[in-house]
Amino acid sequence: MKRVGFISAIIYTGISVLAAGLFLVATMNGYSLVERFGGAGWIFLLAMIILMPIVTPLVKKRLGGDRQP
Amino acid sequence: MAEKELKKASISVSGMTCASCVANVEQALKGVHGVEKAVVNLATGKAAVEYDPARARLTAMKKAVDEIGYEVVLQSADLQVTGMTCASCVANIEKAVGDLPGVHKVVVNLSAGSARVEYAPDITALTEIKKTILELGYGVVERVEGQQALDRERQARQREIRRQLINLIISATLGMVVMLGTFQPYWFLPSIIPAWLNNKVILFFLTTPIVLGPGRQFFINSWNGLKRGITDMNLLYATGIGAAYLIAVINTFWPEAGFGGREATFYEAAALLTAFIILGRYLEAITRGRTSEAIRRLIKLQPKRARVVREGQEMEVPVEWVEIGDVLAVRPGEAIPVDGVVAEGYSSVDQSMITGESIPVEKKAGDEVIGATMNKTGAFKFRATRVGKETALAQIIKLVEDAQTTKAPIQRIADRVAGQFILGVHALALVTFLFWFFIGFAQWFTPESRLILTPYLLSEMGVFGFALLISVTVLVISCPCAVGLATPSAIMAGSGKGAEYGILFKGADAMEMTSKLQAVIFDKTGTLTKGQPSVTDVVTLDKLAESEVLRLAAVAEKNSEHPLGEAIVRGARERGLEVADAESFNAVPGQGVQASHNGHAILLGNRKLMAEQQVSLDGLAPEAERLESEGKTAMFVAADGRPFGIVAVADTLKETSALAVSELHRMGLQVAMLTGDNRRTAEAIARQVGIDRVLAEVLPEDKTNEVKKLQAEGLKVAMVGDGINDAPALAQADVGIAIGSGTDIAKETGQVILIKDDLLDVVAGLQVARATIRKVKENLFWAFGYNTLAIPLGFGIIYPFTAQVVSPELAALLMATSSLSVTLNTLRMRGFVPTIRRGQRGQIGPLPAGQAALPVSR
Repeated sequence: MKRVGFISAIIYTGISVLAAGLFLVATMNGYSLVERFGGAGWIFLLAMIILMPIVTPLVKKRLGGDRQP
Repeated sequence: MAEKELKKASISVSGMTCASCVANVEQALKGVHGVEKAVVNLATGKAAVEYDPARARLTAMKKAVDEIGYEVVLQSADLQVTGMTCASCVANIEKAVGDLPGVHKVVVNLSAGSARVEYAPDITALTEIKKTILELGYGVVERVEGQQALDRERQARQREIRRQLINLIISATLGMVVMLGTFQPYWFLPSIIPAWLNNKVILFFLTTPIVLGPGRQFFINSWNGLKRGITDMNLLYATGIGAAYLIAVINTFWPEAGFGGREATFYEAAALLTAFIILGRYLEAITRGRTSEAIRRLIKLQPKRARVVREGQEMEVPVEWVEIGDVLAVRPGEAIPVDGVVAEGYSSVDQSMITGESIPVEKKAGDEVIGATMNKTGAFKFRATRVGKETALAQIIKLVEDAQTTKAPIQRIADRVAGQFILGVHALALVTFLFWFFIGFAQWFTPESRLILTPYLLSEMGVFGFALLISVTVLVISCPCAVGLATPSAIMAGSGKGAEYGILFKGADAMEMTSKLQAVIFDKTGTLTKGQPSVTDVVTLDKLAESEVLRLAAVAEKNSEHPLGEAIVRGARERGLEVADAESFNAVPGQGVQASHNGHAILLGNRKLMAEQQVSLDGLAPEAERLESEGKTAMFVAADGRPFGIVAVADTLKETSALAVSELHRMGLQVAMLTGDNRRTAEAIARQVGIDRVLAEVLPEDKTNEVKKLQAEGLKVAMVGDGINDAPALAQADVGIAIGSGTDIAKETGQVILIKDDLLDVVAGLQVARATIRKVKENLFWAFGYNTLAIPLGFGIIYPFTAQVVSPELAALLMATSSLSVTLNTLRMRGFVPTIRRGQRGQIGPLPAGQAALPVSR
C-alpha cells in the first residue's frame, strides 16, 4: 500500500510540476513575477487535485496492491 | 468449487456529506478482501455490504472506511457478566466474543463484572454475543436497551445539526458585517456604516475567524481526503474559500504584489462563501433528519412493557422478556405488545398504524392481533405467536430500512455523474484559468469590469487575479452538492409514506419500476374477488334430483382444498346432504377433479376435463352457456362416463375492485385479468369490473407465460396476486405486488407488499411511487439543472458583452439555493396523500347485487 502511494505521488507530483514549469516557460515574456509564479502555483494545485485520484487507482491496479484485511 | 455464501449487512457510516463521499466509501469497502458489493445511502448514512463472512471482517471494513476520513458508527452494549472468577475468564470471553465477525472491540472488566462490546448489529446481533458468553458458562444480562442505541443515533444527528447551526450563526453574522464593511463606500451606506469598518485590516480580523472557525472543516476534510488520493466536495469549497481569502490577505498586507491592489480584497467573498456553504450543509443535515422520521415513528410504536399472565397472576415485564406461547393481558386503551392470537375476551382494535385501515377491527377468540396496534374497548387475553424481530412491526421496520439502503437505478447514474463531476470541475477550473490568463483578459478586459450585483470595480485587477477569480467562481458554482441528497431523501420520504398506508416497497428499484408501470395484471380469484364462492345453481339431466347431483359433486370435492371445492361441500351441507368420503381423489389442475365412490368414477370439472374424458355435453351445453353468461362458473358433473348435471358456483367481487380498475385506467394503465375460467365467463366478469383485457383459461403453471407475453409487447407489467400461490408470476413480473399479506411479511414474494386486502392500495402504491420518483426527478433537476445553467455564467460567458462576472459569494448563494430547493421539495412529500386515499372511504359502498356474482376458477 505504501509503495503504491509513493509511486503514485512521484507520478502526479512530477506531472504537476511539469505543467507548472510549462506555464512558467510560456509566460517568460510580458508577465510579472507574481503573475507567473501565482499562475504556476494555481496550475500546480489544480493539476495535483485532478491527477491524484486518477493516478493512484491506475498505479494500484498495475501493482495489484489490493488492501488486505 | 462450492459457491461461497455471501452475507448482507448494513453498517452506519458518519461524516459523509455529498455524493462523492458515497463513491469514496463504496470504493473503500469494495477494496476490502471478501467484500463483494457495497452500496452507500447518503441520506440514511448507511452502507449495505455483501461480503464473504469467511474472509471479510468488520474490523477490516471499519479500518478501510476510517482510513479515508469517515467513521463507521458502531453500537456498543454494556453487559453484566456473572460467574467470572479470574483473569482467564476475562481472556476467554474477550477471545470468544472478539472472534465473532461483527465485533470490533470487547473489553471485559473482572472487578465490575461487566463487558463492553462495540459491534455492528447487522453482522452480529447482540443475542449472538450473549449466547456466546452463555455457552462459555457465564451468566449475562444486557445493561443497555435497544431504544438507547436508537436515541444515540438521533442524538448524533442532532449534534450535527446543532454544530452546523452554530457555524452558520457565526459565519452569517460575521459575514454580514464583513459585507457591510466592504461595501461601506457605496450607495447610501457611508451615512449609516462607519468608515473604519472598511479598513482592510479590520476586515481581515473579522474574516479570519470565519475561515479558520466554521470554514476549517472543509480544509481538514479535504486534506484528509487528499492524503489518500480522494477528492470530494470539501476540496471545491476549500480551494474556493482558500483562494479568495489568500488573495484578500495578500492585497491587504502586500498591495503592490500584483494581485489587484487594496481595492481587490475579497474578504466578503471568503466570508459569505463560507456562510452559504454552511447554510447548504445545515439544510442537508435537517433533510437527513426529517426524511428518516418515518422509521422513527414506526419504532416509537413499539410498546415497552407487556402484562404477562403467569400462574394466574398478571405481571408487568419489559416487552423483550415476552416469549412465544406466553399469555398476555391487554386492557382498554393499551397497545398490544407483540403479535398473537386472542385466547379469550372480545374487543375492537385500531390497526391503522400498521395496516393503514382507519376503522377499528373487531377481535374475538381465535383472531390474530398485531403487536403495536391499539386496543380500544374491551379487555382480552392473547397468546404470543411472534416476538422480537419476528413481529409484524419489526418486519415492517426492517423492510422499510432495507428499502432505504438500496439505490434506485436513477440514483446510481446520478452518483456516478456526481463522482466524476468533481474531477471535471477542477479540470474546467484549470481550463478557465488558462483561457482567461492567455486569451480572455487581453481580448475583453476593461477597467469598468464589475462583479454582478455589486458596485465593485475590478479596474486594478491584473491578469492573474482576474483569471483566478473566474477560476474560483467556476469551482464554487459547479459544485453538485445537492445531488447526493436528491434521490435518497425522496426515496426515504416515499417509502415512509407508503408504510403509513400499509404499502411496503422492498427497495428503491421496486419503487422506481412501480412508477414506470404500463400494465397491471390481476389474478381473479381472491384478488379481484373475495375468493369465497358459493353454490348458486344446480342443473340436472335424466330426471335426477338436484340434491343427488350436488351430493356427487360434494363427494368428489370433499378432499379438495380449492375454494371452489369448499364452496360445493359447504353448499351440500347447507342443504342437509350427507357428504361421504371418496375412495380416491385426483385434482387435475385447471380442469377439475376425478374421484371414485362406491365403485363409480365421478368427474367434476370444466369442458376441457369432460372432453379429455370423452363425456358428451350435448344436453348441458346451452345451460352452461346461460350460467356463464351470468358470470357464474359452471362445473359439469359426470359419473361413469355419463353427464349428470351442472353445479354453478359464483364468487363475489370485492367492494373496491371496480373503483381500483377505473382509477388505474384513469392513470393511463392497461388492466388485465388472469383466470382459469373459460373466455366467455372471464369476459363476463371483466365487463362487470371494467377490465379491458382478459387472459382466460390459464393453467396455474402458465401464469408466468402470460406475464411474459405482455412483457414481450414492451410493457412494464405488474402482477397483483397472492404472495404465496402466485409467487412464480409475481417473480416474473417487472413488479410483483403481493396483496393482503397480513402480518407475515417476510414470507412474501414480490417487490411491493400490501398488508391489507384492498385493491385500492394497488392504486395508492402506484401513486406513492409515481409521486416519489417525480420528486426524485424534480430534485435532480434542482441539483444538476442549476449547475448546467450556472457553469457558463461562472465561466464568464456574459463578460465580453456586459463586463460583469459572477462573484464567488454569489456562486455560493446560488449553490445554497439549489440545496434549499431540494430540501423544501423533499419536505413537501410529508404532506402527500395518494389521490385514491383522499376522503374516499365514505364513497365506496358494496356493488349492486347484479354485479356481485362471479365465477371461480381453479
